[in-house]
Amino acid sequence: MFQVIRRFATSVSNVADIVIIGGGPAGLTLGTALKNSPVTKHLKIHLVEGGKIIEPLNSFLETPPPNYLNRVVSLTPSTIGFLDSIGAWSHFNQERTQSYDDIVTYDGVSGARMNFEHPDIATMVETTNIQAGLLSRLNELNSQQEVKLVIQEDTKVTSIAKDSITQWPTLKLSNGDSLTCRLLVGCDGYNSPVRHFAGIESRGWSYNRWGVVATFKFADTEFRFPTGWQRFLPTGPLALLPLPNGYTSMVWSTTPELAEMLLSLDETEFLSMVNAGTRLSTEELSMIYDLAKSKSPDLLEQIQWRLNLFAGKLKPADEENFPLQVSEIVTGSRARFPLKLSHADTYVEDRVALVGDAAHTTHPLAGQGLNMGQEDVKSLVGALERATSRGLDIGNSLALEPYFSERWPQNHVLLGVMDKIHKIYSTDFAPLVAARSFGVDVLNSLGPIKDFMVGRISGNSKR
Amino acid sequence: MHHLRRQFSHVGRLLQQSKLTATSEIEMSHFNQLASTWWDVNGPQRILHKMNLLRMDFINDTIKSHLKLNKGVTDPEEQIYIPPFNVDNVLPKEIADRINGEQEIRRQQLWQQLKLDALDIGCGGGILSESLARLPVVNRVKGIDLSTEVLEVARQHKKLDPMVREKLTYELKAVEDLDPNTEQYDVVTMFEMLEHVNYPAEVLKAALRHVKPGGWIFISTINRDLISWFTTIFMGEHILKIVPLGTHTYDKYINEKELEKWVEDGHENSDLGDLRKQFEVAGSKGCVYLPCYGWKFTDNVEVGNYFMALKRRD
Ligand SMILES: Cc1cc2nc3c(=O)[nH]c(=O)nc-3n(C[C@H](O)[C@H](O)[C@H](O)COP(=O)(O)OP(=O)(O)OC[C@H]3O[C@@H](n4cnc5c(N)ncnc54)[C@H](O)[C@@H]3O)c2cc1C
Ligand SMILES: C[S@@+](CC[C@H](N)C(=O)[O-])C[C@H]1O[C@@H](n2cnc3c(N)ncnc32)[C@H](O)[C@@H]1O
Repeated sequence: MFQVIRRFATSVSNVADIVIIGGGPAGLTLGTALKNSPVTKHLKIHLVEGGKIIEPLNSFLETPPPNYLNRVVSLTPSTIGFLDSIGAWSHFNQERTQSYDDIVTYDGVSGARMNFEHPDIATMVETTNIQAGLLSRLNELNSQQEVKLVIQEDTKVTSIAKDSITQWPTLKLSNGDSLTCRLLVGCDGYNSPVRHFAGIESRGWSYNRWGVVATFKFADTEFRFPTGWQRFLPTGPLALLPLPNGYTSMVWSTTPELAEMLLSLDETEFLSMVNAGTRLSTEELSMIYDLAKSKSPDLLEQIQWRLNLFAGKLKPADEENFPLQVSEIVTGSRARFPLKLSHADTYVEDRVALVGDAAHTTHPLAGQGLNMGQEDVKSLVGALERATSRGLDIGNSLALEPYFSERWPQNHVLLGVMDKIHKIYSTDFAPLVAARSFGVDVLNSLGPIKDFMVGRISGNSKR
Repeated sequence: MHHLRRQFSHVGRLLQQSKLTATSEIEMSHFNQLASTWWDVNGPQRILHKMNLLRMDFINDTIKSHLKLNKGVTDPEEQIYIPPFNVDNVLPKEIADRINGEQEIRRQQLWQQLKLDALDIGCGGGILSESLARLPVVNRVKGIDLSTEVLEVARQHKKLDPMVREKLTYELKAVEDLDPNTEQYDVVTMFEMLEHVNYPAEVLKAALRHVKPGGWIFISTINRDLISWFTTIFMGEHILKIVPLGTHTYDKYINEKELEKWVEDGHENSDLGDLRKQFEVAGSKGCVYLPCYGWKFTDNVEVGNYFMALKRRD
C-alpha cells in the first residue's frame, strides 16, 4: 500500500494526458489541433520525435533553402481547409506552394489519354513546409496558453509497457526519462512502434515497387498553366506535379531493378531518362533501360536521337498533350522509397490510437497518403472533443471508438481503389490495355468485366 | 396513472413503518452483485456507460442554454443583443450568424467561468460522478449510494485517475439521511434510480432539499409503457441479455407526465413550505436504446427512457 502511494507521488511530473509519438505531418497536426481547440487545450500533451526537428523547421521558415526539397505532396482542398481552421495554413511559406486543377493522365502502352475532370484544386507543398508551418502555429498557441504542449525531439521511444496499477501506457525514452499517459497516439509512421506495442496487426503487401523522387525545372520553351502529369507505364506511373516558377516534383513508381538503375545514372543521364519516360514508347523504353543497365556509353546519344525523332513526328497541336521537357535537376534531390499498401486491423485499443501512416500506407499514385492522415486527425480531434465535454476518460475505448468507426471504412475503400488502379495500369495484358484506353470512368462502369480483369490481373501482379 | 397515485400516496404511511430507507433489500443485493464488473465498458453495465454519453450532453446543453448572457452587464455597449425571436427564420443569414456567433462566444465565456459543486445521488460505481468531476467547470463532486460494494468499486476506481482523485468524494448514505443544512449543491443528479426505489416521491423530495437557489436537479428514469417493458425487461434482460436479469421492476416505472404533474401539484399545494413550489421543469428529453448503435435522443418523452431537468428559482 505504501509503495503504491510513493509511486504516485514520484511519477506525477511525468504523467501526461496525451503522448504523441512522431513529429511528422500527422503528429504535428494532431498536437496543433488539440491545442487550438477550446475544449481540449487544457490537456497535458507531450510530443516525442526521434529526429531533430525544431531548429531545421524554424530555419526553413526564417531562411528558406534556395531549392525545393524532394518530399513534396499534393494536398486536397479539404486538408487545406482543415489546416486553415486550426490557424496553421497562414504560417506556411505560401510562395513555395503551387495550386493546380488540371491533371492529364495518359497511357504508356495504348497512348490513350484523358484530362481528369478535377473539380477540386490540388496544392503542392513540401512536407517540410507543412511541418514548419504547423510548428510555428504550435509555438504561437503555446505562447498564449498556460498548459503548453511539450516537444521532446531527438528522443526515441525505446520501450512501452503498461503501468501495473493504472494500466496506463508507460514509455521509456532514449534520454532516460519515463513518461506515463492516459492516451498514447502513434503518429510514428509505417513501422509504428506504438502499433507493435498495442499488438495491432497490420495487413498488406509490398507492391514490389519503389518510388523514385526528384525535383526538376522544365525547359523554358513556352508558357504553360500549372498542370499535373501522370503517365501509366507497365512498370508503374510516372508523375510530374507542378511547383512554382517552372519547377516540378517527380514520383516515378517502378520495379526495384529499374529504380536501382535510375539511381545509378549520373544527373545528366537521369534527366534525359525522365524525358524519355514521359514520351517514348514502351518498346523504346525497354531498349533504353537495357542500355542504361549495361552502362552503355551510347545511352545519352540514343535517348536524344529518339526524342528528336519523337519531336519531329509530333504535330504542333499535340504538343500540349505532353509535359514540357525537363532541363535541370535540383542537385541531390534524387531519392527512392519502397511502396506498400497496408491497413491496420483497428486504429484504437484501450489507451492507444493510431493515426496517419501508422494506421495505413498507400501507393503515392493519387497522392492520398498524407491527406488520409489529415482526415484521421480531424476525426480523432472531434472524438476527443466530444469525449472531453462529456467528461469521459479520453483513453477509454468509449471515447475512441467513434474515431475508428468513422475512419476505418473510409480509408479501407480508398486503399482498395488505389490498389486496383495500380493493378489495372501496371500491365500490358492486351484486353486490359484495350479496356483502359476508354478511360477510367468507362472502365469503372463496365462492372463485371472490370471485376474479371482486376481479378485476372491481381493473380499475376500481387507480390 | 392510478397505479402510480396509489404508490405515491402510500409513501408516507410506509415510511413511518420502516424508518430504514426507501430502497428495498432485494434491490440492494442486486446492485452489490454487479459491483465487480461495473467499470467494464464491454460488460453488464455497457448500456449504462453508453447512456452516460447522452446524459452528459443533456446536462451540458441544459445548463448552457439557460445561462443569462447579460447578467450583471450594466453597460449597454457590453450587452449582447438577444432578439425576442428565432433569428434564423427572420434575418438574412449573415446577420443571423453574427448574432448567434456573439451569443455563442459569451455563452462559452460564462460557461468556462462556472465553478459547480455537484451531488450524485445513487452514484453506483461512479460512472456519472467521474464524468462530472472531469469537467473543468466542476469544482467538486460528492457521490452517495447505499451499496457498500459498489461504493468500494467507485472508491478504488477514482484512484486510477489523477484528474478526478482530488475532486471526488464518496459516502455511504441514503439521500433521505443527508443533512440539508450543510449539503447544498449547484447540480444534483439522480440518474437511473427512481425506478429502483419503493417510495419515489419521498426520495425526490429529499433530493430537492440539496439544490441551491438557481441550481439544478437532473433526473432520469423509465416510462411505464409497453415499449419500455418490451425493450428493458423483455428484450434487454430476457432476450438480448444486455442488462442483468432482475435489474428492472415494471411496477416501479414512472411516466414523464406523472413526474411533471408531481412538480405542478406542489405548486398548488396549500402548504407554503412545499419545496416543489421553488422548482420548474426546465426541459425533458426521451431516449431509446438501439442495438448496434447505442442511445439516441427522441422527440417523444412519453416512450421509453427519459431525462428531466428541474431548475430551482434564484
Ligand atoms: C514517394 C512518395 C510520394 C508521396 N506523395 C504523396 C502525395 O502526393 N500526397 C500525399 O498525401 N501523400 C503522399 N505520400 C505519403 C506521405 O508522405 C505520408 O503519408 C506522410 O508523410 C505520413 O505522415 P505521418 O506523419 O503519418 O508519418 P511520417 O511522416 O512517417 O512520420 C513519422 C514520424 O515518427 C517518428 N518516429 C518513428 N518511430 C519513432 C520512435 N520510436 N520514437 C520517436 N519518434 C519516432 C519519425 O521520426 C517520423 O518523424 C507520398 C509518399 C511517398 C513515399
Ligand atoms: C441503476 S444504479 C444507477 C447508478 C448511477 N446513477 C448511474 O446511472 O450510473 C442505481 C443506484 O442507486 C442506488 N440507490 C438506490 N436507492 C438509493 C437511495 N435511497 N439513496 C442513495 N442511493 C440509492 C443503488 O445502490 C444503485 O447503486
